[in-house]
Amino acid sequence: MKRMALVIVLMVVGISLMLWAGWHNLRERKLAMQRAQENKMVLVPEQGGATVSPGEGDGPKMTGKAAPGFTLVSLDGKKVSLSDYKGRPVLVNFWATWCGPCKVEMPWFEELRKQYAGQGLEILGLADDVDAGKEAITKVATRAGVTYPILLTDGKVQTAYGGLDVLPMSFYVDKNGVVVVQTAGLGTKDDIEANIKKTIASGGAPSEPKKMQMSSVPSLSGEGKTAMKTVGTGAL
Amino acid sequence: MRLAGGFLAGVALSSTFLGSGIGSAQQLDGVPAKPKGYVIYAAEPQVIKAGRPSVLELRFQVREGFHVNSHTPKSELLIPTALKLQPVDGIKAAEIAYPAGTPYSFSFEPNEKLDVYTGNFIVKVPVVAVAGEHTLDGSLRYQACDNAACYPPKTLPVQVVFTAK
Repeated sequence: MKRMALVIVLMVVGISLMLWAGWHNLRERKLAMQRAQENKMVLVPEQGGATVSPGEGDGPKMTGKAAPGFTLVSLDGKKVSLSDYKGRPVLVNFWATWCGPCKVEMPWFEELRKQYAGQGLEILGLADDVDAGKEAITKVATRAGVTYPILLTDGKVQTAYGGLDVLPMSFYVDKNGVVVVQTAGLGTKDDIEANIKKTIASGGAPSEPKKMQMSSVPSLSGEGKTAMKTVGTGAL
Repeated sequence: MRLAGGFLAGVALSSTFLGSGIGSAQQLDGVPAKPKGYVIYAAEPQVIKAGRPSVLELRFQVREGFHVNSHTPKSELLIPTALKLQPVDGIKAAEIAYPAGTPYSFSFEPNEKLDVYTGNFIVKVPVVAVAGEHTLDGSLRYQACDNAACYPPKTLPVQVVFTAK
């Protein structure tokens, strides 16, 4: 009788242990699956070539705001600051070597830069993927026929411009240093030209008298392009 | 005593079925609350034979309207899709097998041929695992574009839960 009771007790203990083990196993697997499910991610696409207006989307938008200043190193090793171009319309274009649409608009920028050189337009190409290496960046820029300055980003400038979650991303900065238009994705050449015209027309006369001087502007070729440069006080 | 042993074995068996049965039903649970990426990992528990060469299949889906480079893009400048798994005791993994990509060209650049994944694609991981429950952690690195823009490279955490028996 005693032996039977012992067997029953052992059975109850055994059943309890196994039920607990089963429950524990189930709980662990549930947690593992939950963690895996949390990794499912989906993003809504940006609109290609869309003009970004203030208040649109999640990220901070720059239109109407002062363009954040920066000093970066160009492909030919020179320090280039946005403030070097104070008083001139500047197109700040972020791109990357792995970005197909970026490479399409670069020759257009080159063409439009020449077309609007008389109005002081400058284009700065900021390579977002410095980790690709100077050689790869130079190769892409050369293939695109770019002679405007290509600058190597430092990680901070992307943040200053609102974080770049899409490329190409362009900021059209007027002569007063204000972002007139911000675009994300590839637009048409006509769109780009319209934005350039808008930027040149924006801001009216510079707020302070500027002294015009001949200056050497860093270029991809490293030869230094001679251009009219407006020099004023203060930073952008 | 023999009766007790048989009963215990029965309980052990049912507790194993309890765990694995509900485990496989869990793949339908959970819908992403906030979109964060361009590729979805369809996490689902798998069962393989213990101690024998087997293949784990990792199912991914590229969100509609996007493409990602295949594992072998046609340009060295492009970022290939690549899976990295952390080594775990009891699992011997062989070389990861990626599917072939499909040819793709941007409409604005028809002569530039790309090799991409769109829609669903499966990455296969050959393994030999000892008997038991296993979890492989890793990540999928990819770089996505749509028809007019590209997006910085992303790393998607991946967890493979499987049973070898």
